[in-house]
Amino acid sequence: MASALRRYAFINAKLRARISTLLPQENIDQMIRAKTLPESIQFLKDSPYAAAESVYSQTGDLKMAELELFKEEIGLFSEIGKYVDTEVKSFVSALSLRYEIENLKHALRLWFDQRIRGRNIASLTGYLYRKQILYPIDVDSIVNAESFEALLERLSGTPFAAVLSSCGSKLRETMSIFPCEMALDHYFYRTLLEAASTLKGRDRNIAMRMIGAEIDMQNITWIVRFLTFYNMPVDEALSYLISGGFSLGISDFKAAVQPEENQDIVSTLMGKKYPEWQAFSSQKSGGPFGRLLLVERLLSQMIDEEVSHAMSGYPFTIGIVLAYFILKQNEIQKLITVLNAKYYELPEERIKSVI
Amino acid sequence: MKQLVAVILERDVSQVTKELLRLSALDFISIKEIAGPLGNKIDQVVPKVSEARIGEIRKRIESFLAITGVYPEREKRLNVDELHAVDIDEAEKTLDRLASRVQSLKEEQKNIQQEILKLEDISRQVALFEDLSTTKTKSTSFLNIQTGSVPERNREAFSKELATLPSVELAVGNGEQKISLIITMKRDDARVNAILEKHGWTDVRLPKEVSGTKEEVLSDLDRRIADFKTRQDAITADIKRAVDEKKTELLDLWANLRMNELSSRIQSYFGKTARTYLFSGWVPADMKNTIDEALKRITEGRCYLEWNDPDDLTREVSTPVQVPVKLESPKLLSPFKMIVENYAIPEYGTINPIPFVAVAYLLMFGLMFGDAGHGLVILIIGLIGTALQKKKGKSTDLMNLISYCGVSAIVFGILFGSYFGLALFPAVWFHYHGVIAGEVQAGPVKNIYSILAITIYFGIAVISLGLILNWINRISKRDWFNLFLDKGGILGGLIYGAGVYTGFYFVAHDYKQLPDSSILLWTIGLPMLLLFAKGPIKHSMENKEHGGKPLSALDIMNFFMEWIVEVLEIFSGYLANTLSFMRVAGLGIAHVSLMMAFFQIAAMLSKNGHYTIGSFLVLLAGNALVIALEGLSAGIQSLRLNYYEFFSKYFNGTGRAYAPISLSHRDEK
Repeated sequence: MASALRRYAFINAKLRARISTLLPQENIDQMIRAKTLPESIQFLKDSPYAAAESVYSQTGDLKMAELELFKEEIGLFSEIGKYVDTEVKSFVSALSLRYEIENLKHALRLWFDQRIRGRNIASLTGYLYRKQILYPIDVDSIVNAESFEALLERLSGTPFAAVLSSCGSKLRETMSIFPCEMALDHYFYRTLLEAASTLKGRDRNIAMRMIGAEIDMQNITWIVRFLTFYNMPVDEALSYLISGGFSLGISDFKAAVQPEENQDIVSTLMGKKYPEWQAFSSQKSGGPFGRLLLVERLLSQMIDEEVSHAMSGYPFTIGIVLAYFILKQNEIQKLITVLNAKYYELPEERIKSVI
Repeated sequence: MKQLVAVILERDVSQVTKELLRLSALDFISIKEIAGPLGNKIDQVVPKVSEARIGEIRKRIESFLAITGVYPEREKRLNVDELHAVDIDEAEKTLDRLASRVQSLKEEQKNIQQEILKLEDISRQVALFEDLSTTKTKSTSFLNIQTGSVPERNREAFSKELATLPSVELAVGNGEQKISLIITMKRDDARVNAILEKHGWTDVRLPKEVSGTKEEVLSDLDRRIADFKTRQDAITADIKRAVDEKKTELLDLWANLRMNELSSRIQSYFGKTARTYLFSGWVPADMKNTIDEALKRITEGRCYLEWNDPDDLTREVSTPVQVPVKLESPKLLSPFKMIVENYAIPEYGTINPIPFVAVAYLLMFGLMFGDAGHGLVILIIGLIGTALQKKKGKSTDLMNLISYCGVSAIVFGILFGSYFGLALFPAVWFHYHGVIAGEVQAGPVKNIYSILAITIYFGIAVISLGLILNWINRISKRDWFNLFLDKGGILGGLIYGAGVYTGFYFVAHDYKQLPDSSILLWTIGLPMLLLFAKGPIKHSMENKEHGGKPLSALDIMNFFMEWIVEVLEIFSGYLANTLSFMRVAGLGIAHVSLMMAFFQIAAMLSKNGHYTIGSFLVLLAGNALVIALEGLSAGIQSLRLNYYEFFSKYFNGTGRAYAPISLSHRDEK
């Protein structure tokens, strides 16, 4: 008890103060209602995201503003890392691996486009994040690697060399970067679960529950995409799923994709483990995409409930740290969605339906 | 406050709305709310243009003006005489045209950014080469690096055409032949080759002795990137100029939209019958005649105005009427208005707590933070903060409060003879540092217990004042029941007074003797017994008003339990409230003790009885720490004592703030 108090008392107060500075929904609504992107992004001027507005004002390039928001997200982790002890810090590092992997995937896609597909990527490399997140990776040398072997060589000293070497043959076979992206995602969740398992007692339970809910959401999204949109063989689709879900194990997915299951996969999976799905599925779904959107909404609503539980429950746990990250990430993702929707001039109702 | 109920004709609606906006004094209430059963016969007025739509366009203007750092609510004064009907479609068209201009400039800016990104990419590529003169292994990069020359007559046209592609051209070598090093993207090979062929390009091997080429290329790239960024800045300036050119038009449009928005809001409170329009609201009593005259003048007497007094209304409807409260305070006391409003709005018709809070707050702060030097620092911080806030056009209340706290600390510092922890001048009241250090042997305050006693006396005075204010409030509200039988009423006060007397008597008699039992019986026992009557009296009053059931055994049980709880609350509550003021002494003692500790550390660092640089640094850091930490603690604790020990005695925060629909955004509802 005393150690939890010592560990979380300061960070708890600090993060609660930070949470109070989250953008009110009214600001997001104003951004949605704005007629054009330049008008919409103006609302960030006096907010914690003023840097993104400033970059857009200087460059007129939304992707540069997005890069600024990405930097903002990464900054959260390094900042929180300063205020927590070693045990929690290693868990926070594992969480920030998500951004390392996102950036590495971005670099890999550019490498693939340039080397394998022969596309021009000159103006796209500017959107890569170049500072160190966790490992010293020179993204430019990755993008300009002459071959996949050279690329692995440039990642030596990081765990990603081993992760990517395992997908090399598949990459050559399928002429697609997809197997490597999946290998990186698997590595992220594996590392995150390992880091969570080193936490103790209440912290471990909270972290496992929250990560598990995210894995459930990821797996459902993937299986529906793989089978419905990519027409991937069932065995291959199942092989890409991550174990460690909160409510749904791999066996549940195997059962759901059996041919004798008459219902669609989403309803089978969700109906079995998530009683709330009944109320959700009664809404007009609008085809597989619509159902997927409903799944994402339900699961993110559940994660939100976990967040409010962490906020209102016993304060000295890892819950407050996770709650802060989730709230802040959601906010940044929401901003990126709104700004992109404004760029593509999507109607107000459509934007509201996806955020 | 006075309640106005007005009936006007349809032909006067527009002029009356305008006049009400000009007066900015009416806190509207829904006419249906006060119409009772007749409310069904009154229709809601739907403004011609929706308030929400006008608001959206107004906010759109604000977002455009924000590009140039203009905030219309600060820059534009609203003048009702300039109010005219708004053409929403035309306003939207104006803004769409501006948006389209801004977007096309933004697109241009984005295209330049793409060029910058390409050049930055080339720059990163070039940086990977060790030496450009020996690197022609084209497969290692997506760049093409070539050296050669074109005939002199083609040079200018060649350079111009090459510059249309992402490329670098650099003059290298120092011989008679002008050699160019060009770096292009491989993807542009076809176009580059066409340009080379067209202008008669001949490959020339770059001599090995040519050095510094890479640096020159990088510097050329930097220059070009800088040029592009300058162009981007110019576009940013163009965008600002585009908005700035429209500034006056936008500000006028904004002002008119804002006034139309407020007019729509005013009319949304109107009700109408077949021939007439009705509205109602509250105004400060001193505005009654002004509004009465203005409405009669505007309608040329074609109106019916009814003015109601809150007390009359309460009597008529026999239930309390929610009257808005306009918290009045001199400008000097506006920081304390902020403190009161932050807690709650007092009930209408009760004493304005602002002056009492001002005195209590500053006394508490001074007692906890009595040091003239530290007070001076706080005063300076407050004054600088006030000036900065004024410059930004923001509220100065908090900074003014800090300045007042500084003045209070200076006054108490002089009383306690404390100047940055030093006794530079003799204390006017008592030497706080001397008392804590045990150096004072004579005078009214000799030890810590005396300081604690002062704060207890102070607490008793504050609580007693709170009780007296509560009694005045109850008398003015004619709330006789609570005046006598509430725990903050006369009986509660009597018990508190007797408790205080008993406490002092007990201490004065060496903790061995209580006052005479007859005194205790009359001052504590009898009031306690009388309090038992509270439940039955309340029950019979309710029965009288609403009719009800006869008294049951359960009711009697309830009376008994409520009485026990209330008596316990009086004893424990008042005791805790009074002792709570000991924190004033606690913080004051902590302030002095911390300063003494820093002086001791400074002395330990001194050499031959003289302070060293280290000593001075310790004193500097110590003073800064004490000012920051103790200043914050004293401010918070003063607030806490006001909110929980003082307000709880007399402050009924059930009021509603007076919020007229006004031209001033500060009064906005």
